[in-house]
Amino acid sequence: MTTAELVEAPPVPVAPPSFFTRLRRSPVLSSRQALVGLGILLLFVLTGIFGPIALPHDASLKVGPVFQSPSLAHPLGTDGGGADMLYLLIDGASVSLLVGFAAAAVSAVIGGLVGLLAGFFGGRTDIALMRLTDYFLVIPDIPLMIVVAALFGRSLTNIILIIGAIYWTSTARLIRAQTKTVRERVYVRRARALGAGNTRLIVRHVLPQVTPLLIANTVLLIAYAIFAETFITFLGLGDPSKISWGRLIENAFQDDAILNNAWWAIVPPGLAVTVVVLACTMTGQAMEDAMNPRLRAGHLSVRRFRLRRWPPGSP
Amino acid sequence: MTGLDYVVKRVFFAVATVLVAITLNFILFRAAPGDAVSALRCRQCTAQFKEYERKQLGLDKSKWEQYWLYLQDLAHGNLGSSLRTEKPVTTELWAPIENTLPMIALGTFFSIVLGIVAGVISAWRRGTAVDKAGLWTSLGFYSMPPQWLGLIAVLFVAGALGLPTSGIKDPTLGILSNPSTWTVIVDRLKHMVLPALTIGLVLYGEYALIVRSAMLETLGEDYILTARAKGLSNWSTVWRHGLRNALLPVITLVALSLGLIIGGFITIEYVFSYPGIGLAVVEAIDQRDYPVLQGAFLLLTLSVIFFNLVADLLYFKLDPRVTE
Amino acid sequence: MKPPLLQVEDLHVWFDLPDGRELHAVRGVSLRVAEGERFGLVGESGCGKTTTILALMGLLPPTASVAGRVVLGGEDMLARGERTLAPHRWRDVAMVFQGAMNAFNPVRRIGAQLVEPMELHGVAEGAAARRRAGELLERVGIPAARANAYPHEFSGGMRQRAAIAMALACNPKLLLADEPTTALDVMVQAQIMELLVALTNELGLALVLVTHDLPIVAQTCKTAAVMYAGELAETGPVETLYHEPRHPYTRLLFAATPDLDDVEGEVVAIPGAPPRLDRPIEGCPFRPRCDRAFAACVNAPRLVAVGDGHLAACHLNAGVAA
Repeated sequence: MTTAELVEAPPVPVAPPSFFTRLRRSPVLSSRQALVGLGILLLFVLTGIFGPIALPHDASLKVGPVFQSPSLAHPLGTDGGGADMLYLLIDGASVSLLVGFAAAAVSAVIGGLVGLLAGFFGGRTDIALMRLTDYFLVIPDIPLMIVVAALFGRSLTNIILIIGAIYWTSTARLIRAQTKTVRERVYVRRARALGAGNTRLIVRHVLPQVTPLLIANTVLLIAYAIFAETFITFLGLGDPSKISWGRLIENAFQDDAILNNAWWAIVPPGLAVTVVVLACTMTGQAMEDAMNPRLRAGHLSVRRFRLRRWPPGSP
Repeated sequence: MTGLDYVVKRVFFAVATVLVAITLNFILFRAAPGDAVSALRCRQCTAQFKEYERKQLGLDKSKWEQYWLYLQDLAHGNLGSSLRTEKPVTTELWAPIENTLPMIALGTFFSIVLGIVAGVISAWRRGTAVDKAGLWTSLGFYSMPPQWLGLIAVLFVAGALGLPTSGIKDPTLGILSNPSTWTVIVDRLKHMVLPALTIGLVLYGEYALIVRSAMLETLGEDYILTARAKGLSNWSTVWRHGLRNALLPVITLVALSLGLIIGGFITIEYVFSYPGIGLAVVEAIDQRDYPVLQGAFLLLTLSVIFFNLVADLLYFKLDPRVTE
Repeated sequence: MKPPLLQVEDLHVWFDLPDGRELHAVRGVSLRVAEGERFGLVGESGCGKTTTILALMGLLPPTASVAGRVVLGGEDMLARGERTLAPHRWRDVAMVFQGAMNAFNPVRRIGAQLVEPMELHGVAEGAAARRRAGELLERVGIPAARANAYPHEFSGGMRQRAAIAMALACNPKLLLADEPTTALDVMVQAQIMELLVALTNELGLALVLVTHDLPIVAQTCKTAAVMYAGELAETGPVETLYHEPRHPYTRLLFAATPDLDDVEGEVVAIPGAPPRLDRPIEGCPFRPRCDRAFAACVNAPRLVAVGDGHLAACHLNAGVAA
């Protein structure tokens, strides 16, 4: 879980400009790290959406001998069932990414809602909700997911819901802290003094300030979700009718790819997961960094101050 | 808020969480579609037998009664009996627990050591290529699915290092001769190294990041400048003032990481066929042995709660400033 | 005449800026502090006074470059940078930082932090060091038994005193105090200043007091220097600076200080702001805000003697040099 510590949100003018204006102007989009991360993600998303459609045939169709090493015809070789690894990889992208985004969305909604309500209303609501969050935090997530998946069946929807229902806690905390900060902002108090109702306050004043952070956090959640999916499918609890990267790793394991020294069946799907998770982390972290003040400069360094000749040219 | 207050409060919270966990456990398993018995598939499992089993397991009573019975059983340390072997769950899980604990301990040790080293170096050389390389490496490992990393390790590393890749002991040991305790220990360790190393690699990133940012924050503090003004060398300053302060978050992280490990180690044990709790969970799922599954899950949850409590109390002891 | 304890000659400090340019924070500062003398260094925020004394101990970050001579007891500490500076740290010159609240490591006891430099520099060890730490604490008005406390258990004023005790741990000859009383309430401020005066008298310590609080300088220091935009505007005996300033900035600075006795007087603020230090300064840096600027001020003035031990950098003094 991200141990993101919110220090202070950046100073804001009296009437906040629209969310999109701020996003456009924000240092996030100019951060090279975020851009690279986003670029990679976009690449994968496009592959996931358009790839499977572009495939000439069903990815799991047997097209060659079992565990054949990479060749021109099959750049990533074949898997334990003789199917083209590259096609499988592309096909798997759509499911893995779908689970990732959907589950992250579920977590974001739950976490965002809990955090928003707790932060805005404070008092008993806050305490109750935070108690709930604390309990959830302590219960180990993967075993819970595994147990629930084992008990409640293996459809894709269930998996998405299960993952989503586990990872909302860190989001809730983050959003709660941010909501509390925003709530105390002058213009919110002013609006309230003018008689704005709670809903209006939340939607028009608090939400725009909270959403950027929520989005940054959701990007990180996508990483967790994709990760979690690989766990679930690896243990055979995934949707048997769908191919995902996690499934490919499981297949390789079950089909004894190791005995056959078929590294091409093992490396690509895991590599794909690693890259996407990395990209999400890059982007999400860069976005969160852009919203937090910089750490102070350290007083300690291997290098010290330098000496200089002055005026230049003197001995 | 005195020290005792804090301790009491944390213990209370832990106990409350335990109750919640127990209840959650109960609800989960009773709420599953089709109860434990209906999933049974065996030759003698006629409808009549299933009814009998239901009575045995108390599944015909009301939910509240079942809950009360469950609590009573727990109080006696009774986790039910395995559906497969009919032996008590506690007996079934004992050996796996014994196997998993040292392996996880070793894995945590690897990740802490790697993390501290990487974090301190990164903080020390902040902003340089070394820092960035370190960060990306640890982030990279952190992003790898542990089971995949395990497979890679088996594929590329095991052979080269001559390490075994499955089980916990060499089956040939003890057949022809009586192995000395030392040989047995070494054998066990050899089997633990790869899974523990895999865990260590996957998780050290989180430690490295926390150590790095704690270190950076600490190094920006005024007392570091004071230390430098006093004439302490870089190294002394880091060691005496920087490290201890920066390590405080690490303690908390260890406990929180238990949650992470517990995610990863299940699949890792599966990959390495390491006969620990993780493998027991997987097998229980496979064979629909719900009592075992329920018992294992409860044990895992309880251990996480316990270690969180330990971490809280340790942190409190180490940082005299902590108040709630 | 005895040679001065500290002699700073033409000190310059530059800081690298993220966009590749430089900030010229200290621009050729020279000063002299005699043994046992209390010297005040005053100026507005950002004028470079803190940077100057940090440079004296070599506590600048790696983005800094330094030039000039810092001669302590006859040796130029800056000659070979870190190597010549390090041996003097805490032993010959020690520092009390701004906001000593944070000068202490929160997770270690006060006593241990006092003992640390003693053992490091071989002044005392083990039980002897602890005893000495207790004595130092007593000397600054803290019961020796409190050595076992943690920093957060001390009030701000106590922490500042403990910081002073810590600075004295290795018997330095020179104490640098950077705004030691800022962030403390007025009563405590007075106590701390009294303490510093008493200690410097008792121990023959020299003190360089950096502050923007003029009354304190007026009461405790014998000599002072006024800095503006990284340069020295004027330096000399405090009395003279107060009553016969020879630089418009000095005059306006002392006039801007509200005088509690003079309720009728106006509070005169100096309009405008100091010049940016990330580019070269044309002419006299104070010209834009000066009420007596004239034609000559387009050229940078030099620091010239205008009285006994009294120097000022202002064209108005041309022709009045002593």
